Formats: sequence, structure tokens, C-alpha cells
Amino acid sequence: MTAEADLFRTLADPTRRAVFERLGEGEMTVSDLRQGFSVSQPAISQHLAALKAAGLVSERRAGRNAFYRLRPEGLTPLAGWVDRYRAFWPERIGKLKDLLKDMDQ
Amino acid sequence: MSTEDLVDSESVVVDCDLDAPPEKVWRALTQPELMAAWLAEGDIKPQVGHRFELTSEIGPVECEVLTADPKRELRLSWRERDEAGELVDSEVTFVLTPTIDGGTRLRLVHDGFMHAGFLVMAIGRIVPRKPVRRLEWVLAWAA
Repeated sequence: MTAEADLFRTLADPTRRAVFERLGEGEMTVSDLRQGFSVSQPAISQHLAALKAAGLVSERRAGRNAFYRLRPEGLTPLAGWVDRYRAFWPERIGKLKDLLKDMDQ
Repeated sequence: MSTEDLVDSESVVVDCDLDAPPEKVWRALTQPELMAAWLAEGDIKPQVGHRFELTSEIGPVECEVLTADPKRELRLSWRERDEAGELVDSEVTFVLTPTIDGGTRLRLVHDGFMHAGFLVMAIGRIVPRKPVRRLEWVLAWAA
């Protein structure tokens, strides 16, 4: 599986994406993270495991606690997708304008 | 900054003014022989649920018509395969608005696999890369 498709799939889940976004506030434990979510702690843990597998989150253990934080570099492959379409669409719109000039009313 | 602000100003969006009425732009978007001249070859029909494949230089794209509101809005699901053959799903929306001078304002939004505002926020704010300038994302094209 490529990094790009993997990331798309991982972040397609709204709850998982919300967990990821929440971690943007800083490093947290699972119970910190659970505040504000209506899902169970095991569910949050599963989302964290998926985010970790996709390289989007890292885990640090300190005693009995596990702390989770974002791995910003994990998102880099998505920037490639965006860049591709940022180049693609303006070029196509340019062709659409040419076509409209050539078309009959 | 609210999420709404990000969606409006920092998505994968092209805004442009076209020197043709919405009716004519609609035909260019939804008739196969016209679409082939600017986007890609494919058996498009402005009919919700219609499926077709685009043959473009970025590779084959499987599409389904999700919205077909004549002269106003066309929304397509956009499913492509990456280099490894993995499916990547997104959506492309074309919104047409008539302008006072008889032309059309076209807004193209490419997102859907996730919240585009979220994606761009994440890339722009979290990923350490060169700073994203807002204007780069909204490409206004002089008619």
C-alpha cells in the first residue's frame, strides 16, 4: 500500500480525523483525548493505533502512561496530491476557456 | 480562525470568470465531445447515478455523477488509482453562477475524500514546508 492511499483511507474516518485534529493542541494521553468525544476509550485507542500505523501519530511511554503526539511529517504525501491538482485544474480551465471561444452559441 | 474560513479560502479551489453564459458552459462540462476538448475523454451524461471513465493524462479516473443541476451545479465522484494501484477517492464540484455581463462565474472545488479545509489546514499549518500563501490556493483567472 502506498503512503498516499494509506493516508487517505486512514483519515477518511471522521472520528479518527477529529482525534488527529485534537492532537494538534499538543501531546495527550488517551484519557485526555477522550474528553469531548462520545466514543469509548478502547475506540479512541483503536483510532490511535490506526493513526500510528499510518505514521501520523507517535507514542511515548512514561511509567504507566502513554502519551500521543502528531507526526506532522506523516502528512507529506498528501501535499503531493494537492500540488498535483493545483497544477492540473488551472491548466484544464485554460483549455475550457479556449473551447468556449471556439464553440457556437 | 474558524473551520469555515479555511474551507472558503484555503481549499483546492479554482475561481474564474468565463466569457460565456452558464448554458454554454454547462454543455462544455456535460457533453462528451466537448468535455474531451478541455478535460478528458469519457462518456459523461448529466444524469445522477451515471458512471463513466475518464481517460486523462493523470491516469484513468472512474466517475459517477452525484449532482446534475442544469446550468448550476455538477458534482462528480473522482476515483483514481495511485502508482501502486491503490484507490484514492475524492469529489469534484463545478458551480456555475451567471454574471451581470452575460458570462459565468465558475467555482471548481476538488475535495470530498475528507474535509478539504482540514487537509489544507493540516498541510499548511502542521507540515514543515514553505509557508502557504493564501492567494496560491485560490487561483483567479482573468477572463
